[in-house]
Amino acid sequence: MEKRLIKKETLAGIVGELAGKMRVCAPMKAEDQVLFRVLEAGEKPLVDFANTKNAPKNFLFPRTEMMMKYTRTGKGMVFAGEEETDRGQTLLFGVRPCDARSFTLLDMLFDQEKYRDPYYINKRKRTTVVALACVHPPYTTCFCTSVGGNPVSSEGVDLLLTDLGEAYLAEFLTPKGEALLSAFGGTPAGKGAEKKKEEIAARAAGEIASRIPAREIKPILDTHFEDPFWDTLHLKCLACGTCTYLCPTCHCFDISDEVKGNDGIRIRNWDSCMFPMFTKETSGHNPRPSQKERWRQRIMHKFRYYVDNFGAISCVGCGRCVMACPVNLDIRKVVADIAKL
Amino acid sequence: MQNPYIPIPVEVIKIVTEVDTKDIKTFRFAFLKKEDEEAFRYLPGQFAELSIFGKGESPIGIASSPTQPGYLEFTVQKAGVVTSTLHEMEVGAVMGVRGPLGNSWPIDYLAGKNIVIVGGGFAFTTLRSLINYMMDEKNRSRFGKITVIYGARNPGLLIYKDELAAWAKRDDLSLNVTVDKGDADWKGREGFVPTVCREVAPSSENAVTVICGPPIMIRFTLPVFFDLGFSKENIITSLEMRMKCGIGKCGRCNVGEKYVCKDGPVFSLAELDKLTKEY
Repeated sequence: MEKRLIKKETLAGIVGELAGKMRVCAPMKAEDQVLFRVLEAGEKPLVDFANTKNAPKNFLFPRTEMMMKYTRTGKGMVFAGEEETDRGQTLLFGVRPCDARSFTLLDMLFDQEKYRDPYYINKRKRTTVVALACVHPPYTTCFCTSVGGNPVSSEGVDLLLTDLGEAYLAEFLTPKGEALLSAFGGTPAGKGAEKKKEEIAARAAGEIASRIPAREIKPILDTHFEDPFWDTLHLKCLACGTCTYLCPTCHCFDISDEVKGNDGIRIRNWDSCMFPMFTKETSGHNPRPSQKERWRQRIMHKFRYYVDNFGAISCVGCGRCVMACPVNLDIRKVVADIAKL
Repeated sequence: MQNPYIPIPVEVIKIVTEVDTKDIKTFRFAFLKKEDEEAFRYLPGQFAELSIFGKGESPIGIASSPTQPGYLEFTVQKAGVVTSTLHEMEVGAVMGVRGPLGNSWPIDYLAGKNIVIVGGGFAFTTLRSLINYMMDEKNRSRFGKITVIYGARNPGLLIYKDELAAWAKRDDLSLNVTVDKGDADWKGREGFVPTVCREVAPSSENAVTVICGPPIMIRFTLPVFFDLGFSKENIITSLEMRMKCGIGKCGRCNVGEKYVCKDGPVFSLAELDKLTKEY
């Protein structure tokens, strides 16, 4: 693996220059928030920020996505083509390691042996992930180390950048990452840089104060589907769904149709297990009739079912749901409480 | 990469109104492309998404049998947007089918055994597929005694009446049709499905029962089969859940860690016992 040192003050300019050659999405200030957006040619991205308000899953699994088109004929609406897939390469710059890990978790679902999801896979193939390691974990709500990640994790990353103080250590991890070698330039990194990164990694992991028994609750969830615990957990939940919309690993979606005149499209939109209509059947029957069952589903899906199906917890510890919940429902506390059952 | 979300184009070639209330119809579809027909390999118990562009999709069990080549049949109750649109369609209309989806009735497990089919109301569709599959001359010898117990609330709500009449004449199938309450013309049996199961009392010796019907029927029928000595492994049913993708991605039809769309819809009672009770 190629490792280089890149001067700190040059990084934003390198990315800005790349934005003239390909689609580059990077963290930018938007009023008082930091959000990913497409850069104009030469535009410099933020390199010092905590994390983006939204998870970058939107670039692989957009909140609204056209699946296919159709058109009216005398005999009914007929298929008129797929989503346009050829849109060139995308560079996703400034992804935090927790969010990059979420891509590997989404891969497990969308890129299974049987039933591969072409929309996700096509975007994933065309996307290069450049991550910025968390030299100092940005929030007190960060808990990546409890769910299998760490502040310098390279899972799902093509090019990992770690701030060593005066320069970034750039690790070109995959062929997609290596394709950026000439653009990023820099000088070969020696043993000293590697050692420094290891020290930073150890210190950063130690700085993560939130520890939750995420793995430990799996056997408890296996035997506590029915438990009084679930009866009160959800009571203050407003069913707004923010937790699932901001979550980097939530993948549920709805499929719907939109018609204008003689043409229409079939689209998919993010959906949420927090919503009553999510499971409501035409007959009126709803297997998850109240917020109690929906909260249980959210917790079970992330910490039990995903482990059963894919051997991984479907949570990367980014803490977005903790920060955004309007009634302060904290998944860390929920997990800790389950551990006591 | 094949796109599993794109429906296969089909044409409506026959519509049968099954019941007096006219809200249950059987639609026969022919594939518009020969290669699609050849690729659509299915077994009884599987389902497909009936796909109407502009309206949406609805997951419906396949009511025809793979032993009946050249077409697919679905028996559909008019209920929501998609099924109501379907009910207004006429022969010649073009729409889509996405499938086959899900597992199937466990044909290899059923082979060599006596089969007891129990159906209630219009949940008889994939059971009809299974019966026609087993009764096919190439397949009949693979199965033992076949007993069918089928009930509806009244004679007007029995579906597949022509086939019921044809099966009644066969000596290699024991057909027991019942209605909760008959009318002036009804000469057949009266009584609820669980009661009839107890009267018919099929032996559990080397036997499997396949049950589909409204929850209330299933609730009262299961104890009858337990009394007759059927083990939970040998009681098989099919689940329904709200679905969208049909391929285990959209995340709404799971029961525990299993997705009804891809791991089901067919489960034995023994398998259901291991899952969460959320359906």
